[in-house]
Amino acid sequence: MADTELEAAQEEADEPRAGGRVQSIAAGAVPVVLGGVAAWLSFGLNIGSLTEPGPGLWPLIVAGLLVASGIGIIAVTARSRRDTEAFTRGTIAVLAAAGGLAVYASLYEIVGFEVPTVLLMFAWLRFLSRESWLMSAILAVAVTAAAYALFIIGLNVPLPHVIVF
Amino acid sequence: MDFSSVLSGFTVAFEWQNILFCLLGVTVGMLIGVLPGLGPAATIAILLPVTYNLEPTAAVIMLAGIFYGAQYGGTITSVLLKLPGEASTVVTALDGHALARRGQAGPALGIAAIASFIGGTASIILLTFIAPALAGVALAFGPAEYTVLALIGIFLVGTLGNGSVIKSAAAAAAGLLLATVGLDPLLGTPRFTFGTDQLADGIDFTIVAMGLFGVGEILYNLEHRDRPQTGVPSFGRAIPSRLHWLQSRLAILRGSVTGFILGILPGGGATMSSLVAYAVEKRTAKDPSRFGKGAIEGVAGPESANNAAATSSFIPLLTLGIPANATMAVLFGALMLQGITPGPQLMSDHPDVFWGVVNSMYLGNILLLILSIPLIGLFVRMLKVRPGILAPITVVITMIGTYSIRNNAFDMLLVIGLGLLGYGMRKLGFEPGPFVLAFVLGSLLEASFRRSMRIFGGDVTEYVKQPVSGTLVAILVLTVVIVPLLRKVRTRQTAGAEAAGVKAD
Repeated sequence: MADTELEAAQEEADEPRAGGRVQSIAAGAVPVVLGGVAAWLSFGLNIGSLTEPGPGLWPLIVAGLLVASGIGIIAVTARSRRDTEAFTRGTIAVLAAAGGLAVYASLYEIVGFEVPTVLLMFAWLRFLSRESWLMSAILAVAVTAAAYALFIIGLNVPLPHVIVF
Repeated sequence: MDFSSVLSGFTVAFEWQNILFCLLGVTVGMLIGVLPGLGPAATIAILLPVTYNLEPTAAVIMLAGIFYGAQYGGTITSVLLKLPGEASTVVTALDGHALARRGQAGPALGIAAIASFIGGTASIILLTFIAPALAGVALAFGPAEYTVLALIGIFLVGTLGNGSVIKSAAAAAAGLLLATVGLDPLLGTPRFTFGTDQLADGIDFTIVAMGLFGVGEILYNLEHRDRPQTGVPSFGRAIPSRLHWLQSRLAILRGSVTGFILGILPGGGATMSSLVAYAVEKRTAKDPSRFGKGAIEGVAGPESANNAAATSSFIPLLTLGIPANATMAVLFGALMLQGITPGPQLMSDHPDVFWGVVNSMYLGNILLLILSIPLIGLFVRMLKVRPGILAPITVVITMIGTYSIRNNAFDMLLVIGLGLLGYGMRKLGFEPGPFVLAFVLGSLLEASFRRSMRIFGGDVTEYVKQPVSGTLVAILVLTVVIVPLLRKVRTRQTAGAEAAGVKAD
């Protein structure tokens, strides 16, 4: 029983905190800005009329909807509801992961998939998942080898690769 | 109704490679159902590129298997660990875990598996009779009807999903906007391509699904990665007693019907129906106070309902071409990739695909029943694999899959960008589901809207005046009335689950 209570307590600590006021307003401001830009770009296309709609009409309608719902979000949820999640220190890990992935993607066509995959796997396992150095190294090489076997040899996917059999 | 095509569907479903893909699909489904974090929509999205080279029927049989298999798998962790692997099994945790704590985990899992099997199978039988009729009606639909239908779909998914209605509307609008990137569907004018050829063909649906569901979920989970490891209670044999069966058979029946009906509704789906089924069981019980303390009906009802709903949610996709939930939106994309347009024509143009997939679900449910009883121990052991190890592997598979779509590294960057978007949306309280669904329906909605506006000579009121589209508008209005009721049930049940310390992913 004590275990279950401990579990419940841990789970509660794990529960994400609600974001602040700024974040609630940002949730509405982002759609407004996005819709505004899209509307402005739509005018650059031909709007046409309801009878003969041009390419710009539909994006303009959708942009209008986006702006309207953004304003609605600011009006309704920013005051009363707390349905956002606060950014935490973990956010840095998320950004690091996305940045690492972007580097990974850019290296793909230059040096093939093997080296970037080993590096990505290793860095992710060691620094984001906090596995041991040895575990990270073994898994990084093993997963890359398995991916090579599955995708290049098995499924014949034309991935850029440097190792040729 | 043409029974010969139904029967020939069995021949298709029982071809050996289709049986194999069905088995593969349900096993993967059960596995990801057990593992908290990656849901069926994400898994199917990640596997889309793998299905490119498969034959269409085999591909859809496998992907469908993942979807309904996940409903079975999610139950296991709900009952044993009170950690629902899927949102649709959250209420199962209430009574299921209470039973497990009393040492009755085995019978609870057994009843859950049987209830799932009955719910799923009953739903396929109903589908077999209802789908052709619905497709027959839909054959007469023109652009105006499709405009209203797509709106109903987006509206319902937005309002019945989790989270606030207005945020879902914003997410849907953003999805519709993203769908306009590329060439204008009727005139061919480039829109929002920012002068790059990479965007001239628009953004591939697979990229959006993989980005928002796949990478987005992984990034999101990265922030909450320290999930406490919990011990697994012993569960004995997953075979229910006669008494359990007698107590739960009516619940299974009611759950199947509830699930089937709510599953057809866009946005209803498995989660909603399991919650409603639980509420129904509690209301009809002679002694409602037993619920939450280990009432077997509280497992049987929701489990039959979520499987029935998982199956019946194929109906709008396969007969109208309108996906009812996020996973169906991904399957919509899978069919399009195979050159098959889901809709009323599907049944007559590709009877082998339609009935092959539908009939494979009988097989899938049998396989799941067989698998779930002896393999529960094995699946539970999978939980010991740390999420921190699974995440980078999933990412690498996603990246390789993305590259393989067009042999293009730009697409990989797009997936990463959309992944960040998905993460940001979750942090700001937006659901990715309505976004992806709206993206899928975007070009259909725009093309139908513009065609019907031309037919109507620019008069918007014609949507109401035309008999068929007018009826659909009436349905849209009617749903506006029903939706708040359903939301109320959901809020109450979810609150109950949260009070009992169940956390959904």
